[in-house]
Amino acid sequence: MHYPFWDQPIGYGVLMATIAVFHVFVSHFAIGGGLYLVVNEHFARRAGDAQRLEFLEKLSKFFVLATLVAGALTGVAIWFVIGLLAPAATEALIHNYVWGWAIEWTFFVVEIAAAMVYYYGWKRMTARAHLTVGWIYFVAAWLSLVIINGILTFMLTPGRWLATGDFWDGFFDPTYWPSLVLRTGVCVMLAGLYALLVASRLEPGDFKAKTVRQAAGWSLAGLAATVLSQVWYWKAIPADITAKALQVMPTPIRSIEISFWLAGAIALGMVALAAFAPRKLGTTVALAFMALGLAWFGAFEWSRESLRKPYIITGYIYGNGAEVGEAENYKRDGYLAQIPYRTGDEGADLFRHACRNCHTLEGYKALKPAFDGTDRAFIAAIVQGTQHLKGNMPPFLGTPAEAELIADHLDQRIDKRPLADIYKLDGRLLGRKVYDIRCGKCHVLGTDSDKSKSLAGQSAEDLNGLLDMAANLGEGMPAFTADAAERKALVAYLQTLGKGGRP
Amino acid sequence: MNLPDYHFIAAPLWLVTVLHLLTLTLHFFAMNILFGGAAITLWSSARNRWGGTQAVDFSRLFPVATAATVTLGVAPLLFLQLVYPRQVYAAAIVSGWFWLFVPAAVIVAYYAFYRASFSGQRTGRVNHVMLALAAAGLIYVSLVYSSVFSMAEQPALVRSLYAKNQSGWVWNPAVGAYALRWLHMLAGAMTVGGFFVGMMGQDNPKVAATGKAAFAGGMGVAAAAGIAYLVSLMPYLEAFMRSPAITVLAAAILLSLASLQFYLRKNFWVSGLALFLSVFGMVYVRHVVRLLRLGNAFNPASWRIAPQWSPFLLFLVCFVAMLAVLAWMLWLFFRPKGEAA
Repeated sequence: MHYPFWDQPIGYGVLMATIAVFHVFVSHFAIGGGLYLVVNEHFARRAGDAQRLEFLEKLSKFFVLATLVAGALTGVAIWFVIGLLAPAATEALIHNYVWGWAIEWTFFVVEIAAAMVYYYGWKRMTARAHLTVGWIYFVAAWLSLVIINGILTFMLTPGRWLATGDFWDGFFDPTYWPSLVLRTGVCVMLAGLYALLVASRLEPGDFKAKTVRQAAGWSLAGLAATVLSQVWYWKAIPADITAKALQVMPTPIRSIEISFWLAGAIALGMVALAAFAPRKLGTTVALAFMALGLAWFGAFEWSRESLRKPYIITGYIYGNGAEVGEAENYKRDGYLAQIPYRTGDEGADLFRHACRNCHTLEGYKALKPAFDGTDRAFIAAIVQGTQHLKGNMPPFLGTPAEAELIADHLDQRIDKRPLADIYKLDGRLLGRKVYDIRCGKCHVLGTDSDKSKSLAGQSAEDLNGLLDMAANLGEGMPAFTADAAERKALVAYLQTLGKGGRP
Repeated sequence: MNLPDYHFIAAPLWLVTVLHLLTLTLHFFAMNILFGGAAITLWSSARNRWGGTQAVDFSRLFPVATAATVTLGVAPLLFLQLVYPRQVYAAAIVSGWFWLFVPAAVIVAYYAFYRASFSGQRTGRVNHVMLALAAAGLIYVSLVYSSVFSMAEQPALVRSLYAKNQSGWVWNPAVGAYALRWLHMLAGAMTVGGFFVGMMGQDNPKVAATGKAAFAGGMGVAAAAGIAYLVSLMPYLEAFMRSPAITVLAAAILLSLASLQFYLRKNFWVSGLALFLSVFGMVYVRHVVRLLRLGNAFNPASWRIAPQWSPFLLFLVCFVAMLAVLAWMLWLFFRPKGEAA
């Protein structure tokens, strides 16, 4: 609320996820890759294996380019993006964890310097010194994860911090340890995948087969740790969050399911590769495994981010930047009183600060199609009852007058024709569309909010009566304000639902 | 609801300010070596002024200098966001797209420096296109930073610009407020870059001459632009003259002249130290100018101070360990290979 709003017709969640997933992919691989390099260098030097040392030197060039250029800078890019998209939450995180980030910075400096010294030192340093620097690199990189993990997990499960405000209570929060083990497993898994990619460029032969088998072993070991700790991680999340997710949030649950399928696919692929085709591994297949790894990570991070809904910091700051602790002030004084950067269009300002963090008008999570064919009164009622809507949305904490201003803003931008004209529908299909627009925002069929069983045996007259008193049926229920044709179509559709039908 | 209040600073303000200014000086120094060094190398190589492999040797150092610049830039950005979040984020949001392209420009520059380094090793020639691309990326970053950070010092301007345009394509229209400052920074980078080139190429008379010219010339332009910038701050000039910053500025100018004097005597370590201290002094002056320009709009002293001593002490331990490990790794790297550990 205290900041201007970067008003772009793009999905902020997608923008953030794109940069963040790419960054975590590269940065985890930077940690695991460091371990892979130094462990292999250790054994290669002990065995006097010149071919492997040459392979590792090549690997380290790719490694330095990927981690220092892409890894470090996409990490910096995250800072730039979160400052634009969620300045209030960023401010809160920095004020609480400035020393955490400062500590992480010291590890980051050592990590970057060690990577440089390691890469440029292959020929000019003694074997022992080179190995030492390799270990310094890995330890510094992993310690940087140890720190960042505390801040990341804090956002989902701040735990006792909400009561004490103590740095360490928030840092060692309920999901800290499972997340650390999980991410360490991911590092090892990605190290194997990245070694596979480099090994795929080797000439077919015994050396290639040995390298591929070994890399597959790393991936499998990392994957095992990851999958087991993912279960531990889920159990460590407070029950109210997971229960809510299972009830009303299909996105994180689907993402978790996808992540397990992807883990299974990677594991099967690794076993098959190591057993049947270690000499034949081509770059395309190796890239496909990298893509699977990226997809796995994307699915996991997506589930973690989605689970936090409706918050950015659970129990503390909502996704739209409204502070939970300020809720009473918002309700009393309104949002506008808290918005110093105004444009002269109060409806637009309110819409930006209350809704635009997640929704666009016509693009990502678009609101126009969600309200086309409705009316100002309906929109205002929906705005005031956002916490009841599907998807675990934050509550609207402004005043009723401000909800009306947002409704005005949206009402001027929607298609006002009847749904039948907009979508060229009639009969039960029109009824279904009316249901989706007017009822389905809360009552999602097949979920806990599905009330269709209570419609069994209701006559058209009964259902019309229900629609007449819709606004009195429960908190957040809007009045039914559609025209007679839509009412008739909806009643018919509700009767079908009452009979167990899904037309 | 009784939730923790995040509107605080987790250490005394003076401590955070010292850390901010110190890390910003380190960042500026690395960035000046990088940009000034790259610009001088590109210019000299394009005119074939040096001959030999000196320019190629320099171009191999720029990826390392980029890593140092980026890494050392993280800490001051953190402390800046800690103390001035509302000013900096607001200005960044108004210029959102330009701001967002800063990391992209740095990635391009970094990649171009690596390409220049690798192709130099392979071909024995400087890759002018890549060096020019990298320099262009860095100039973009410097322009955006000058625009945004100058705007952040004028919250009323940010509010009025946002009221008219929310697209994120707003550039700071008060060019007079930052053009001279930007020129001063650029010339400062040439000064430090000249120092770096002259020191690294001290055995090659042509390179040493280029370094000297860039050092002295850059210093002259930086001084002229800096003084002009100060004069342009007319409404704040009286307060500035009464602040300790004027003494620090005088000391910084003397240090930079001393640095040049030691440089001409080829006493590079003392020259470098004087130059670093001079930059530190300038960074302090910059800090005071920011406070003056912010005026009544924001005073950092208004923050509630709630120190978190245990994580701070851990940071201190890690910071000292970092310095020790860096020194040890450099020793490992530069000692002769035959020497026992």
